[in-house]
Amino acid sequence: MKITKIYEGAYQWIMYGRDPNKPEKIIDTNQYAVRTKKRCLLIDPGGVELFAPMLSAVLHDAPVEEITDLFASHQDPDIISSLGLWDQALPNAKLHASGLWEGFLRHFGCENIEYIPIADNGGVISLDNVEIQIVPAHYLHASANFHLYDPEAKIFMSGDVGAALEPAGVPVFVEDFDSHIEKMRFFHQRWMPSEQAKRVWIDKVRDLEIDILAPQHGRMFQGDDVKRFLDWFEGLQIGMAIKN
Amino acid sequence: MNTMKVNNAKSHFVAVASIAAELSAVMEVAKEISLAAANAKAIAFRAGEKAKGFQPITDFINELAKETIELVNDINQHAFRLYQLTVNEHRMSGAYYKFEQVAQNSTKMHYASSLTKPLNRAKINMLECRKEFNQSLSRLLEQLAEVMHPARAARVIAANSRIEASQAGEYLQGLQAVAESVDHAAQVIHEKVQKCRSALSVINLDS
Ligand SMILES: [Fe+2]
Ligand SMILES: [Fe+2]
Repeated sequence: MKITKIYEGAYQWIMYGRDPNKPEKIIDTNQYAVRTKKRCLLIDPGGVELFAPMLSAVLHDAPVEEITDLFASHQDPDIISSLGLWDQALPNAKLHASGLWEGFLRHFGCENIEYIPIADNGGVISLDNVEIQIVPAHYLHASANFHLYDPEAKIFMSGDVGAALEPAGVPVFVEDFDSHIEKMRFFHQRWMPSEQAKRVWIDKVRDLEIDILAPQHGRMFQGDDVKRFLDWFEGLQIGMAIKN
Repeated sequence: MNTMKVNNAKSHFVAVASIAAELSAVMEVAKEISLAAANAKAIAFRAGEKAKGFQPITDFINELAKETIELVNDINQHAFRLYQLTVNEHRMSGAYYKFEQVAQNSTKMHYASSLTKPLNRAKINMLECRKEFNQSLSRLLEQLAEVMHPARAARVIAANSRIEASQAGEYLQGLQAVAESVDHAAQVIHEKVQKCRSALSVINLDS
């Protein structure tokens, strides 16, 4: 598993991805962690297959007992089907996920971890002195869906928004936005259902100061590529399968 | 080693789940017996003197049916509990083997030693789960042996019924049919329960 520090201040943001041992037919995912003094938040910790390499990689940055929080942007298996295993590894941790998905996510096994339901209008995750904002992103793509924004680190974790389908092992940042577009198009047109949701989200996200836009698949966007992405996404017609 | 565990777990799930199907068949048959007993009672009543020996037998058949239904209800609940334990055990041992894998792969990681506690805890949980599973399994096997008793008794009674029926004149056929159906039902129960027991006998969790 490749470990990339994407923010280093009084605390850290770390990206885990490009696992070389990932079974071929499983979609590649990016996991993120926010590591503060005594706590660690794992963001979209991933599928069952990824649990072992992921925990092993996190042990580089935090001891098990300081992994105190998990966040699931939505209910997909590539996001959180590892829950049952984290549940055994971290009996005192909290899972922050939409209240609407509670009854669904518990199918993965959530006996020990405390489920903290997020209301539709979002909320905050506090870690030591750090406050991570939970931003509603419903219908992008799941019907109950959240992204995370850290105003201090200026990182926006955008779940499946900004995702790209690419071969294994590519760089973690977008290097040439124009050539990246084709790798994102199908994903957004087919998996993002709602134009209205998209417009509301774009308006909201445009007002935020963002250095890095960090999706759950593909590459992160930094600097001017963040705005380029928002412009491109705004102009893209989504919810395509309806027409066929 | 890991694959073997997984395959084993699969056969546990199938074994425990298949019991439910067999047991619902036993239940149907037990209800048939109780119906046969009611029938026999009606016939014996009409036959009067001629079927005098038959009357207590019908009550007895009815008792056996009731007892079987009760036992099967109990067993059903127990089988469901065993299924839950199977799921638990599967989750616990899955977690334990994953943690072992993590421990092997992260010896160089800075916080590798923090894994010791969850690893030990997972092992204890897994072993405890197995213990509970094994206890529950042997209790279920005992219950399955118990349910064979009324079925066996029913067959003896069916044989007696045939003798009694032969003295019942024009009611002979009716009473013989009752005896047949009790005998048949008892055989089916015996068969189904045997199936449950052999399905369960393949399960072996080392603790
Ligand atoms: Fe998704
Ligand atoms: Fe995804």
